[in-house]
Amino acid sequence: MPAVQAKSISCPNCGGPVELRGFAHTLSVVCPQCMSVLDASTPEVQILQKFQGKTQIKPTIPLGTRGKLGGTQYQVIGFQVRRVASGDDTYSWDEYLLFNPYKGFRYITEYNGHWNFVHVETALPEQSRSAGKFAMRYGGKTYLAFDSMTASTAYVLGEFPWRVQTGDSVACQDFVAPPSMLSSEATGGEITWSCAEYMTGAQVWQAFQLPGSPPPAYGVFANQSSPYGASIGSSWRTWLWLNVGLAALIFFFMVLSPGHVAFSDHYAYSQGVKTESAFVTPTFQLDGRDSNVELKIHTDLDNNWAYFSFALINDQTGQAFDFGREVSYYHDSDGSEGSRNNSVIVPAVPSGQYYLRVEPEMDTGSPFMRYELELRRNVPNYGFFGLAALLLLIPPAFTTFRRASFEAARWRESDYAPSMSRLTSGGDD
Amino acid sequence: MNSALFVIYGVLLLGATGVAEYQGWSWSRVNQQRVLPKSIRDNPGAYRSSYGGYSRYIGGK
Repeated sequence: MPAVQAKSISCPNCGGPVELRGFAHTLSVVCPQCMSVLDASTPEVQILQKFQGKTQIKPTIPLGTRGKLGGTQYQVIGFQVRRVASGDDTYSWDEYLLFNPYKGFRYITEYNGHWNFVHVETALPEQSRSAGKFAMRYGGKTYLAFDSMTASTAYVLGEFPWRVQTGDSVACQDFVAPPSMLSSEATGGEITWSCAEYMTGAQVWQAFQLPGSPPPAYGVFANQSSPYGASIGSSWRTWLWLNVGLAALIFFFMVLSPGHVAFSDHYAYSQGVKTESAFVTPTFQLDGRDSNVELKIHTDLDNNWAYFSFALINDQTGQAFDFGREVSYYHDSDGSEGSRNNSVIVPAVPSGQYYLRVEPEMDTGSPFMRYELELRRNVPNYGFFGLAALLLLIPPAFTTFRRASFEAARWRESDYAPSMSRLTSGGDD
Repeated sequence: MNSALFVIYGVLLLGATGVAEYQGWSWSRVNQQRVLPKSIRDNPGAYRSSYGGYSRYIGGK
């Protein structure tokens, strides 16, 4: 924007010079020396309000600063602090009035390190409902009702296109569709609608070339974009594709590892027989690459237990895979516990000629037990697939949780806090 | 989690699952260090299993 000579008037209260940067648009201006609010709408400048405050507030963005927002250069010409009393609490935010001779007025607001670029809308939004909540539709977006309050002007500096005074109050309503916010201000039967776009402190600092770094942002602001909003969809899409990959992997190993029976036989065991319980099976061939072997035990146990010590022994090398399995099955009128069957997967068994050494045990005095041993070569271990499915779920579940936490923090500050299930609704249609 | 990181994580996880399946890994507790003499076939009772001697009472409602 070319540097235009600002008009200057004298303060009728203190006689100090007062610059007018908004030209004919300026209806009131604050004397920077005595802080009196002056009526600048007529050549006879009159005092609207004398400064009653005890301390002067220094705006974070000094008056007169020029900055480029949305490709247009604006100059900061006014500053006000607006205050809301909510129960016992009082909070306030800063508003900067920006001016460009061709584009007119814009605002920048700041609350707890959260910034918004605001422009006044001329069209009226339509009342609507979304997810059972009061909402407004404007510019193709649905804005959910967020809060309503009465805000009063607590401090003013610079010039304004209306007759500003400290103590002025307006009824405000905010509707959000992050990163946008639609706000209404009602005063004296007139309602003004404005639309705000969320900005980070860094963006404001860059736009106005301010020295140092912006103050940190605290909490989650009403129209602050969720950092997890975009990633949550892609996260679940990626999860879906990875599960397709997992299903393909399961199918591949079901074909590659059919689990053919290498050995199977039926046996009987009685605790009372005074002979050696250990025995060996006939030899059987395990073919192919180093792969697993699954041994299944099927018994006819009834309110009893048995323990099997096994050794899968390579007949040529004498290498043994030593393992044990318990089988116990109990039942009564209340239900049952355990199972008559059990199985074990022996990992990475090389090919070769093998036999099993089997040594069953039962409680002293236990009756007769029949059982079957079935040994399968190269079986899919579904436990690994289940674990993979579980581990694949962690990233999208974590992202979803983070997003829900972010939205919960946003809506905690709202007068219209929705249930958690509705937190993801609203926004672009 | 960043989408690209998730893809890398997922592909590595599926790869590890594939390796575990192909190698026939298992969570079962199995000892495979012994080299047994041929005589075990003729005298299976002479072998003392690491998992033998299981005689405590378990289960029961």
